[in-house]
Amino acid sequence: METYVDAIGAGDTAATTTTSGAGDTAAKMMETATAAKPIKKKLKVMVAIDESKNSFYALEWAVEHLRDVISAEPETNQEGGLLTLVHVHPTYLQYIYPTGGTDSVPESMRKAREENTTKLFTRALEICRGKMVKTETMIIEGDAKEMICQAVEQTHVDLLVVGSRGLGMIKRALLGSVSDYCAQHAKCPILIVRPPKETSTSKQ
Amino acid sequence: MASGCDRVVVVGVDDSAHSYHALETALDLFFVPFKSNPQFKLVVIHARPTATSVLGFAGPGTVDIIPMVEQDLDKTASLVKKKCAEVCSAKSVEIMSSEVIEGDPRNIMLEGAERHHASVLVLGSHGYGAVKRVFLGSVSDYLAHHAHCSVMIVKKPKAKHTSTDKH
Repeated sequence: METYVDAIGAGDTAATTTTSGAGDTAAKMMETATAAKPIKKKLKVMVAIDESKNSFYALEWAVEHLRDVISAEPETNQEGGLLTLVHVHPTYLQYIYPTGGTDSVPESMRKAREENTTKLFTRALEICRGKMVKTETMIIEGDAKEMICQAVEQTHVDLLVVGSRGLGMIKRALLGSVSDYCAQHAKCPILIVRPPKETSTSKQ
Repeated sequence: MASGCDRVVVVGVDDSAHSYHALETALDLFFVPFKSNPQFKLVVIHARPTATSVLGFAGPGTVDIIPMVEQDLDKTASLVKKKCAEVCSAKSVEIMSSEVIEGDPRNIMLEGAERHHASVLVLGSHGYGAVKRVFLGSVSDYLAHHAHCSVMIVKKPKAKHTSTDKH
């Protein structure tokens, strides 16, 4: 019940600053608050990670800022949303060893890659631990930008969070930017997290 | 949760359906869930184009039209401001600051984000195709690269085959 009282309190201050007739609006808002609370659904958020520092920073940012939006609230018995961590492998392995005499070399490369991925996800899950967020992980093979957009479509997430490598204009044109591509093609809103500036005081 | 310093969310709006949609998405994401203890402060910035940028190059007789164009732009700007206020109060979110600044939207949004020390900058995206993007320029692209804070780009879901408002 306390939450409803707070909502009215906030509503009052908002009403007095904008319009007069605060009493009516406050009462109306209480009705909408009680009606809206149970139907409000928690969000499904997807965070794309690779080995770069920026994507981990993006994950931390997402967990910190969006925690209340995703996490479950035991008091109101509301089901939590979902946080999906997606990592895309480039599929370069196939091209290097078209016909192997022995299978041992691609095998060891594959194992190394799996180890890498496991380490990656362990780090990522560390960050999500204890935040009461249902987390799932996804590993996809292929071209990072296309696969991420495809994953967004398939899982119908509400928000995609990516880090930004901070490439300059030229590198961006030559190497291609995953965040650029996703900003243009993803079917859901995309949040591009930039790392804080190292030199000046960081505002985050 | 650190609620000591409230973080600022800056939303850029022009007079398009895309930006109102972006504003609503931003509200849903950053404000509505926190009714009881607001974590963010909202700043809405409307970049008003200058009359000269709208008219293109000056030709004969444009001098007379300029005041009328200015008036029209002013009207649009106050309409946008009012509409934003309506959208926000419908979700019972308080706007900390609503600004209308004249000039190039890219620089305005960049400076606005710096000035308010924004944590997130939210923009709508017109959803231009690749070609239009090159010629018309994309504000959201520019800001995604140059802003110092996180940028959220919200696209309005396109209805199938009703692309009459693609501009």
